[in-house]
Amino acid sequence: MNKNYLFLTILMLLLAVGTFFIPKKQLVKHERSPEKLLMDITQPSRYVTTDQVAKMIIEQDPTLELIDVRPADEYNKFTLPDAVNVPLKDILTPESQDNLGIEDMNAVFFSNDDIMADQAWVISRRMGYKNIYVMKGGLNCWIETIINPVEPPETAPETAFETYHFRKAAGIYFTGGNTVQTGDTGTKKAKVKVRRKKKEKAASGGC
Amino acid sequence: MGPLIPNEIITGDWNFVIAILIGIAFGFLLEASGFSSSRNLAGVFYGYNFVVLRVFFTAVIVAMAGLLYFDYFGWLDLSKIFILPTFLSPMILGAVIMGIGFVMGGFCPGTSFTAIAIGKMDAVFFVIGLFIGIFIFGESFPLFKDFFNSGSMGNVTLTDVTGIAAPWFAFGFTVVALAAFWVTAEIEKKVRKNTKEYKF
Repeated sequence: MNKNYLFLTILMLLLAVGTFFIPKKQLVKHERSPEKLLMDITQPSRYVTTDQVAKMIIEQDPTLELIDVRPADEYNKFTLPDAVNVPLKDILTPESQDNLGIEDMNAVFFSNDDIMADQAWVISRRMGYKNIYVMKGGLNCWIETIINPVEPPETAPETAFETYHFRKAAGIYFTGGNTVQTGDTGTKKAKVKVRRKKKEKAASGGC
Repeated sequence: MGPLIPNEIITGDWNFVIAILIGIAFGFLLEASGFSSSRNLAGVFYGYNFVVLRVFFTAVIVAMAGLLYFDYFGWLDLSKIFILPTFLSPMILGAVIMGIGFVMGGFCPGTSFTAIAIGKMDAVFFVIGLFIGIFIFGESFPLFKDFFNSGSMGNVTLTDVTGIAAPWFAFGFTVVALAAFWVTAEIEKKVRKNTKEYKF
């Protein structure tokens, strides 16, 4: 027998045995390491203020993606314009994942305050998503600052008044100028245009 | 990286270009392996020539282990490749019919065309018969339709069905194939005493 065949037989056998040692694929591709995640968590740069969010909504910033992480029934009662609902408990489902990691989009999580939004942020960050933010103070802060802003005292610096005037105007923008503020801020539920990540398709067809 | 088209590295328009290139390569390798001779092909059923078994088993084990490594290296995402849907009982019957045709005709559909390409007359008749068969099947399809579509299991792999990890199949097939290579070489030696040592 030719020695080459013996060599090839042994080589193929080794390669076949080698397949046992191929590590299982990680389900999450770009998982953030715990050390880096811990560093990210301590950074306040993930927070955006309600003023920034309001400004982006008013300017119809196309890169803004608002994600409401509260349960669906709360989302149905009230939410921010064009926000999509991804309840915190469903954040790991494939459908929810479609809302994250869309190219060129900045996802902003919000909840009633920022605790649930922060949790959603940590989970998403751990999964390696970038361009994700948390609205500081959540919807409570939204109501306090944008819908019912408090007039600063006369001794306050000019910037405080500028902020106040912006908030007042923004409040009118969002409530349609209702003078009497109620819990219902008059946002009519328009159909939310949901942008989704492009699906990674498996090949179809064949011989 | 791969598969190229589902990952949108190249567009689906390249499908036919790639198909032509692969087709040419496939035809060339069939001819180069001696598959355009019906004597070589039918030999596997009569026990004097196992080149078919060796070529196809080599292709299977190399591709099988290779794909697992490619997936690991990130060159080809195995979760995105096309898996032919399984229709169990129609496939078994189809395989039996194909096998009978193979023994009788001395060709399988692909090799018959490579044989025509090098001018074999028997292959011409084989292909005429092949098209008559296709025509009859096409015309009488309503009769077989229910059976044709029965036993659908979807796009499953052996791992999906059995739950046994892919490396076990790769290893098992490799061992069986390598054993078959050595055993058939011995058989050939005994059957063809006057021939030189067979090269595979």
